[in-house]
Amino acid sequence: MNTTAEHPVAPEEIMAFVDGELSAADAQAVAAHLDGCSACAGLASQFRGLSQSLTRWGVAPVSQKLENAVNDFAAKASAKSKSRKQSAPFRFGTWNWKLWAFGGTGVVAGALLLLGIEVTNSYRSDRVANQRPMAMMMSQNSGKGTAGYAPPESLKGKMYNSLSAPSRMATRSPSDSSEPISAGFGVAGTVGNFSDTTAASMIARTASLSITVKDLSTARASLEAMLARHHGYSAQLTVESAANAPRSLTASLRIPASDLSHAISDLKTLGRVRKESQSGEDVSQQHADLAERLKTARATEERFRGILQQRTGNISDVLEVEESIARVRGEIESMEAEQTTLEHRVDFATIDLQLSEEYKEEIASTSAAFSLRFHNAFVAGYRNAAGTVAGIFLFLVEYGPSILIWLAIIFFLAFLISRRYKKARSRI
Amino acid sequence: MDSTNRRSSAAESAGVSSDEELMAAFSRGSQNDFDQLFLRYKQPLFGFFRRRVADAAQAEELTQESFLAVIRASSRYQPSALFRTYLYAIGLKILRAHRRKAAFRACFTGAPDAYREPAALGDLETEYALRQAVGKLDRLEQEILLLREFEQLSYAEIGELLHLPMNTVRSRLFRARLALHNLIVAPVPTSSAEQARIEERA
Repeated sequence: MNTTAEHPVAPEEIMAFVDGELSAADAQAVAAHLDGCSACAGLASQFRGLSQSLTRWGVAPVSQKLENAVNDFAAKASAKSKSRKQSAPFRFGTWNWKLWAFGGTGVVAGALLLLGIEVTNSYRSDRVANQRPMAMMMSQNSGKGTAGYAPPESLKGKMYNSLSAPSRMATRSPSDSSEPISAGFGVAGTVGNFSDTTAASMIARTASLSITVKDLSTARASLEAMLARHHGYSAQLTVESAANAPRSLTASLRIPASDLSHAISDLKTLGRVRKESQSGEDVSQQHADLAERLKTARATEERFRGILQQRTGNISDVLEVEESIARVRGEIESMEAEQTTLEHRVDFATIDLQLSEEYKEEIASTSAAFSLRFHNAFVAGYRNAAGTVAGIFLFLVEYGPSILIWLAIIFFLAFLISRRYKKARSRI
Repeated sequence: MDSTNRRSSAAESAGVSSDEELMAAFSRGSQNDFDQLFLRYKQPLFGFFRRRVADAAQAEELTQESFLAVIRASSRYQPSALFRTYLYAIGLKILRAHRRKAAFRACFTGAPDAYREPAALGDLETEYALRQAVGKLDRLEQEILLLREFEQLSYAEIGELLHLPMNTVRSRLFRARLALHNLIVAPVPTSSAEQARIEERA
C-alpha cells in the first residue's frame, strides 16, 4: 500500500480520488498518474465497479403506516409547542423574578413562623414560672395570714373531713380527767404560730425545684443568705464539677414551714426555673395515732408504777414489774422520738433544690490534658484498627469459603451469559 | 464536505430551504417544514436501518423511533452540525440500543433468525448475497463502508459520527472495500488474474 517510484500515488489516495475526497492539487496529481498507469487506473475502476454493484442493494419504499404515524406525532408536537408558547405562565428567563418572589416569600414566612413559635414558647414558660409563686402568695394573704398550705377548693372539704378525727379528740381530751397527761395536743402547741384550725391540720410539705443559674458560686452565696434570712438550714448539699460538663449543686433544704412560699420565690430569683413541684402530705392522722398510742403507753407505765408502789410481793414479782416498766419506757421514748420527727417535718418544709450552671466550654482544661488525650486516642485508634483487622480476618475465615462458592457460581453464569451475548451481538 | 456544500448551494440556488433551515423552522413550531424534511429523509433513513437490520418490520420501527426522537428533541435543536449528520447520529444511537437489547434478549430466548428476507422484493439473490458479504466484514468497517456507499457521507462526517480520526476512516474504508471486492467480485482472486483483468479493461 505504499508509494513506489513506479506508483507515486498510494492506493488509498486513488480511492479518495474516486470518492472526491482529495484537494484540487492532489486530485490533479492522481488524475495525471492514472492517465499513465494502467494498474492504478484498474484499481480506480475496481472501486467504481464496487460502488456500482452495491447500488443494486435496493430498499423497499417506506410504508404508508410509518408516514402516517410520524406525521401524526409531528402535528401533535407542533400543536403542543404552539400552545406552550402562547400560555407559558411560569418560565425561566423573563418570568424568573416571579419564581424568586414566591420562593423568597415562602422562606421568610417559614422563618417568621418558627420565630413566633419560639418566642411564644419562651414567653409562656417564663410566665408560668412567675405566676405560680404569685398565686401562692395571694392565697396565703387571703387565708387569714396563716402559713397554711392553701389547697384548691375541691380538696378543702376532703381535708377538713380527715381533720375532724383529731379535732374531736382534741375537744374530748381536756374533759377526760382520768388521764393524767393530756397527750398529743400539747405537742401541737409547739408548732407555734398556727391558728386553731390549721393547728389540727399537720401537713408535711415538700417542694422540689430545678433551676439553671448563670454562675453557681454567686447562686450558692445567695442561697446561703436566703437560708439565714429564713432561719433554715441545708440538710444535705453536694456540688459537682466534672470536666466538660456544667457544674451542678444538689441540696436538701429545710425551711420553717411558714417561710416556705417566700423561700421558694426567693429561690426562683436565682435563675431560670426548669422544673418546679410542690406537695403536702397530711400527717394529722399519723400524728393523732401516735399521740393515742403514747397516751396508752404512758397510762400503762403509770399503772405499773402504781403497782410497784402499792403492792408488795416477792422479789421476782418486783423485778418483773420493773422490767415491764423499762420496756414501756423504751416504747414511749421511741414514740416520742417519732413524734418529734414528725413535728419537725411539719415545722420545717423540705426543698429539694437542684441548681445547674449554664454550660460554658472551657479551653484551658482541655489543652492541659492534650498529650494525655492524644495518648488515649492513639491507644483507642490502635485497638480499633486491630479489632477491624481481626474482624475482617474472622469474617473471611467464617464466610470466605461460601463467598468463593457463590462467586464461582456467579462468574460461571456471567460467563455463559456474556458468551451468548457476544454470539448474539455478532449475528444481529 | 464537498458534496454537502455542493448540495446546499444547489438547494439555495433552486430557492429551496436547506435541511438546517427547515429544522430550525420546525423547532419554532412550523409543521410544514418538518413534512418537507420527512419527505427528504424518510427513504434514506429507512434504507439506513433496512440495510443494517435484517427484519424489515423492525427497520421500520427504528425509523419511526428516530423521527420521533427528532421531533421530541426539536426544541433543543442547535444548528451546529449538518442536519444529515445529526439525523444519522440519532439513527446510530438507536441502532446501537436496538442491537444491545436484541442481543441481550437473545441470551435468554435463543439466537434470532438473523437473515429473514422479505419475499416481496425483486432481485432477492443479489441483495441476499450483498448482505451476507457485508456481514462478513469487521463491524466497524461494515459501518464505515455502509455510511460511505449508501448514506453518501464524506470521510469527515463518518469520522465525526463514529468518533474516529479521518485517516482511520480512510484506511479502514480502503480495507473494507478490498475485502468486499474479494468477497463479491472475485471470491478467490489471484494477483495474475486480477492484473490480466485490469489490463483488459484498460
